[in-house]
Amino acid sequence: MLAGGQSLIPLLALRLARPAVLIDINGIDELSGVSAIDGRVVIGAMTREYVAEESGTVADTVPLLAAALPLIGHEAIRSRGTIGGSLAHADPAAELPAVARALDAEFVVRGLSGERVIPAAEWFEGYLTTSRRPDELLVEVRFPAAEDDTGVSFHEVARRHGDFAIVGLATSLVLSGGVISDARLALTGVSDVPVRAAAAEELLAGERPSTELFDEAARRATADLDPPGDLHGSPGYRKTVAAAVVRRGLRAAADNAAKGSN
Amino acid sequence: MADITLRVNGATRTGSPEARKTLADFLRDDLNLTGTHVGCEHGVCGACTVILDGRAVRSCLMLAVQAAGREVTTIEGLAPDGEHGGHEGLGTLQQAMWDSHSFQCGFCTPGFVMQATAFLGDHPDADEQQIREALSGNICRCTGYQSIIDGVLLAAQRNRTLRNREPLSEERP
Amino acid sequence: MTAIAAERYTGASIKRSEDPRILTGAGRYVDDVKLPGMLHAAFVRSPMAHARVLSVDASAARALPGVVAVLTGADLEAMTVPGPDALMALMGWKGPTPQFTLLATDKVRLVGDPVAVVIAGSRYLAEDGCELVEVDYDDLPPVMDAAVALDPGSPPLFANLGDNIARTHSRHEFGDVAATFANADRVLDFHIDVHRHQNVPMEGRGCVASYDAGSGVMTMYAATQSVHVTRIAVAMRLGMEQDKVRVLAGDIGGSFGLKIGASREELAVAAASRQVGRPVKWVEDRGENLTVSGQAREESFDVRAAVGDDGALLGLDVKMVVDTGSYPGMGAMVPDIMEAMLPGPYKLAALGFESTGAITNKASYVAYRGPWASETFVRERVLNLIAKDLGLDPVEIRLRNVAPRTDPPAVMITGRPLAGVTSRESLERVAQLVDFPAFRQRQAEARAHGRYLGIGVATFIEAAPGPRSPEGPSGPMGMESMRLRLTEDGIVVLFTGQMPHGQSHQTTLAQIAADEFGVPFEQVRVVVGDSDVVPFGLTGGSRSATMTGGVALHGARQLKAKVLDFAAHLMEASAQDLLITDGNVWVRGDPASAIAVSEVARRAASGQSEAGADARLEVEATFDGGEGGWSGGTHCAIVDVDIETGIVKVERYVAAEDCGALINPAVVEGQIRGGIAQGIGAVLLERSAYGEDGSFQSATFMDYLMPTACDVPRIEIEHLETVPLDADVNFRGVGEGGMIVAPPTVVNAIEDALSPFGVRIYEQHLPPARILELIAAAAPGQLTGGFAAGGRGTGVARRR
Repeated sequence: MLAGGQSLIPLLALRLARPAVLIDINGIDELSGVSAIDGRVVIGAMTREYVAEESGTVADTVPLLAAALPLIGHEAIRSRGTIGGSLAHADPAAELPAVARALDAEFVVRGLSGERVIPAAEWFEGYLTTSRRPDELLVEVRFPAAEDDTGVSFHEVARRHGDFAIVGLATSLVLSGGVISDARLALTGVSDVPVRAAAAEELLAGERPSTELFDEAARRATADLDPPGDLHGSPGYRKTVAAAVVRRGLRAAADNAAKGSN
Repeated sequence: MADITLRVNGATRTGSPEARKTLADFLRDDLNLTGTHVGCEHGVCGACTVILDGRAVRSCLMLAVQAAGREVTTIEGLAPDGEHGGHEGLGTLQQAMWDSHSFQCGFCTPGFVMQATAFLGDHPDADEQQIREALSGNICRCTGYQSIIDGVLLAAQRNRTLRNREPLSEERP
Repeated sequence: MTAIAAERYTGASIKRSEDPRILTGAGRYVDDVKLPGMLHAAFVRSPMAHARVLSVDASAARALPGVVAVLTGADLEAMTVPGPDALMALMGWKGPTPQFTLLATDKVRLVGDPVAVVIAGSRYLAEDGCELVEVDYDDLPPVMDAAVALDPGSPPLFANLGDNIARTHSRHEFGDVAATFANADRVLDFHIDVHRHQNVPMEGRGCVASYDAGSGVMTMYAATQSVHVTRIAVAMRLGMEQDKVRVLAGDIGGSFGLKIGASREELAVAAASRQVGRPVKWVEDRGENLTVSGQAREESFDVRAAVGDDGALLGLDVKMVVDTGSYPGMGAMVPDIMEAMLPGPYKLAALGFESTGAITNKASYVAYRGPWASETFVRERVLNLIAKDLGLDPVEIRLRNVAPRTDPPAVMITGRPLAGVTSRESLERVAQLVDFPAFRQRQAEARAHGRYLGIGVATFIEAAPGPRSPEGPSGPMGMESMRLRLTEDGIVVLFTGQMPHGQSHQTTLAQIAADEFGVPFEQVRVVVGDSDVVPFGLTGGSRSATMTGGVALHGARQLKAKVLDFAAHLMEASAQDLLITDGNVWVRGDPASAIAVSEVARRAASGQSEAGADARLEVEATFDGGEGGWSGGTHCAIVDVDIETGIVKVERYVAAEDCGALINPAVVEGQIRGGIAQGIGAVLLERSAYGEDGSFQSATFMDYLMPTACDVPRIEIEHLETVPLDADVNFRGVGEGGMIVAPPTVVNAIEDALSPFGVRIYEQHLPPARILELIAAAAPGQLTGGFAAGGRGTGVARRR
């Protein structure tokens, strides 16, 4: 399936992928679009990343997605890359999978046996692998609208501006009366799928932001990580950086909430 | 092979590229527009950047057939614009880059010119840091980037002058 | 003393003549060349680092529609003449000479080693054909580092050598090494490593070879730093007379030392064109460029320093091992230059230098911008390490060691006089431009808030082209030639063997000639890139500003004299009374007498001239570099190291440089900035990475990381007032200096940033993970989570 092509076409050029048939779905207009329905934002799978980036609806209603989008590659990549394509490709160091996982987005696929809705927790199965069946097409992704008093941040460490994250964190939390609730943290780059930092989320619930709290959250979020190693960093390095990313991401989200940006 | 028709630099062009042929190769080989350069074929260096339907895209990351019915502008198609297009065939950005000694070997140049054209079109008042970030997806091996950034800043300043009809402030030589 | 008449252009940042075509997509690079009937080549390449080739079956490939021919290594041996590498031959290499076939026949020696070439109707089809060639390999143990290579038990990569020694061990001593070390207050020992990285021009290697059977002429459209060296290489390998090979080059997308002579692939393509009787194009893709085109700088050094307690660097004793990769290249020659340059501008009294070169299953070590650069890295690192031990400031220790400028000049212990060297001035200038005390204060405040800033300096000189040698010019690069002609249209045309690939020669040489001759800049044209037309030359080694600038100056002067001699007949005046300014010849004191240069030229060309008048308005000039000289300077970087992530930002970068007289300041500064960017890239981002199994791990731009506009700061450049050495030619080269001195500058700054942790750095590549490892090793438990290389985190964050 050829969507944005920003990940697939390099594989063709390098002769790492040799599809006998490529189906170009760029011409299917119905698959594109951003709309707010029933407290959710529904984004068609073929919506270009730059369209989502420029969307007022996304900025107002899914601020975590708005925070992550500018970090995806460079503008020219976002001119063609699609929301659905990125999520269906499921690169373990990409930004959108962490956002989807943090917000418990829903993936709507359509196939020969009809339509299914797959929650984010079940969408990402493994390295570049999702639970989409070969005969299914991802048609839209649904994100919940952020509540009042939500603060978000997407914080990543990358070798250079625009690179894939070495480690990245999508954070959303509600800060009301100085107390944190509904904390959602999802890490990218630390496994073959995005990882919800559930232990850290539990710790944060009901607490007031503080350096000590965020330090402990970082410890809990990374204690059981077993990240991959590659040219850009050993597993130990990624683990250390993940802790720094969690501390900084939480601080940024708390500040964002305090500014009352919602 | 599929027959395709598209608009390139304001003219209708046709071709019959293989399905797997990239837009970059189609422009260069089939349409003889060799100004668009291929630096990596995996979408990182930006040398192949063209403008498609008003957006900068990496032509090595598109199949030629995907451009059917689309409007493409390559570096050969940048028309002179504005009163600062001094030298015949040079637009404001190109003239500013010439004045700023922006380039050396020139291989990355078309990609930078197209990306900066698109970026300045959408962000005419971008500051230096924003311009650096916007161009951080284009790789140059010769210049260390400063002269390129200077060219873009100068073009933006000249465009503002034209828009605002303000007197010219002191420019870099 | 300098007598350039009416200097309008020289010294000014004249806009480039190259740019109108570059900016409009009208440049002509080798991949833009299209010839009727042209075919495309792609190479079958080895997936293994070291293996015997048992068989090559190209039958399926040959049967593929669109494939015109497949030539195996054996096929190519039958149609070519074995011979040495062109650059090695040019530089007079006398050491171990491996024997190998043009494409691999019996053995492959690195991942990507070409085994066969497929010629087809398109590159796409040729690559399809490559996939159908079946090669049977028999694995051999890969030799992936110098220690393994030099172990006599390791398999030799080249049968005729019997071992993996690229460069026989040698040792030289200058001064009294033993006594200097015996009498020193202290002797310090270091081991310093420089990592493998590479040129990576934005345009890869490539050519279009077109053999015309009728005339027996091979025309090569090339991307090269010298059309003549390429011509010689092609002629030799194809067994052709040299005048039957014509090499043409248009615009070239960078090279930095990579594109010299002709690569094995280009030679194979030339042979293929002759074989199939049609033009054949090959342009490497980025994967080929990163994997096989060549790499550089993988060197290790055991260094002993004899030091005085006052910070004097009395002597150095260095053992160097260079990993030269597989097929021969510049690597084996680099130690000689390093040895000669190691003392730098300092008062070093003794030097012992020994070196060995090892052959490994990696890409060949090729010339990369300042191939000897590691001598500056080693020396400038060692000075900082000594300063740390002695509690001295890095600027201070350099000032103490810099040789004073004397007349006659101080002489490096390795023999070259430090004529006109302004290292002291550059150090002092940097200390003025960068307020060190203010920085130290800011640094202390930042540390109190958990931010780690650091400052580093480094000083260098480079032979650009170096001072006049008492033995006179030597080698093909010792004399520069140029033909200058006044055409009948009145254009001053310079024919030069220089082959610019970003150096802006078509602008800078025209500036000099225009000034010297007396015509407007637009009335000068510089012709490059045709081996049938231009004299011998090569662009490289930071020499063209002096050598070519000088021959342009003297040649223009000689041409002007000839033109005035002819004009004297026309104008019935004495040549001594004639001037040329602004494109007109006129009698001094009589402006009304002016005749346009173009008119004089027209008359000369018309054949109707006075008896005795020499109407051939052309000269062949040569120049040996005059007094020559050094370029050099001091660079300073301020960095911000994030100790939680290891990410380093270069916050400020200052260069105080002396490259003699500037022809075109914008061009000079562009060269300096580009070199610095490569140096920053080397330290923070770039590494050519091999696995122990011989696999190549950085074959795309996702893994070989290039510096971008967000990685290179604004670079502040100060041009120092230089010391003129020559009556006329004081332009000195500047192409390589930035790349030579930026790595130690940045590494020195990083070490300074991490000094609270006691970190000492003995290597050049410092990606984020390495920064954290260095901190963890020097100060265990300091970092949050107690990071240790590969280990699990323990411990508690300590807040300051």
